[in-house]
Amino acid sequence: MEEAENVSAKSPQAAGTGPAPTNTRNTGPGRLLIAVYAIFAISATARAGYQILTKFSEAPLAYLLSAFAAVVYVVATVSLAKPGRTAFKISVIAVLVELVGVLVVGALSVFDAVNFPHETVWSLFGRGYGFIPLLLPILGLIWLYRRRPAASH
Amino acid sequence: MDAYFYIILVVGLVSTIVCAVAGILKKAPNDLTILSVAAVELSLLVYLAGSIVRVAGGEQIAGEPWEFWGYLLTALILPIGAVYWSILERTRWSNFVLAAVGVTALVMAARMNQIWY
Repeated sequence: MEEAENVSAKSPQAAGTGPAPTNTRNTGPGRLLIAVYAIFAISATARAGYQILTKFSEAPLAYLLSAFAAVVYVVATVSLAKPGRTAFKISVIAVLVELVGVLVVGALSVFDAVNFPHETVWSLFGRGYGFIPLLLPILGLIWLYRRRPAASH
Repeated sequence: MDAYFYIILVVGLVSTIVCAVAGILKKAPNDLTILSVAAVELSLLVYLAGSIVRVAGGEQIAGEPWEFWGYLLTALILPIGAVYWSILERTRWSNFVLAAVGVTALVMAARMNQIWY
């Protein structure tokens, strides 16, 4: 943790973002978090694109959910990497949506397997992806909480 | 699973372990960790070259060919992106970013094998 703070102090981004040099979210462990989010953004986008282009009519709901998950991962990746309060708020919303999504879709795919037989990133709580989709929003929220911007007044 | 997969399995696992251990030891990315990721890239390039030769030789991909090539090209971009992202900030955490490359590559190689056969 010390090194992360050292680096953020010297980071050009901290100096280049105007009056609020508070972006400490994209340094240290945050870089790993962003990298993992980026991997999920890419794989979820590719997978949803593939599903929608080739077999959308088989399971429109599942594949739209895939696409929705992809959008959430892209928004989370970008907002985690960007400095500023607005990006912070967007990150919190995206990560919360992701958490709700993985819990709801995970539960639906377990209890209503008949209507949710088709795979999405969030099916079975992300089992197809080593449960990382379940772990990621929890780690994301912890990270965002620890690096929340200071209260403005 | 073919030889390409097993090469990436071994190289990817070694790279992930090397990078994760370096991260745990609080080291910044160094020649060893970056070269281990370069080895992953190299083994993916071998897969690419081998696949081109096989397709040119008339072998058929059982699954969707463009899905296979999509996976392969994405996998080829990952190590480059990860090295770029890790040298922008040289802390121990960047080694964990590099560690993610090996496992991701081997998962993708497994999927590529499934598509091929």
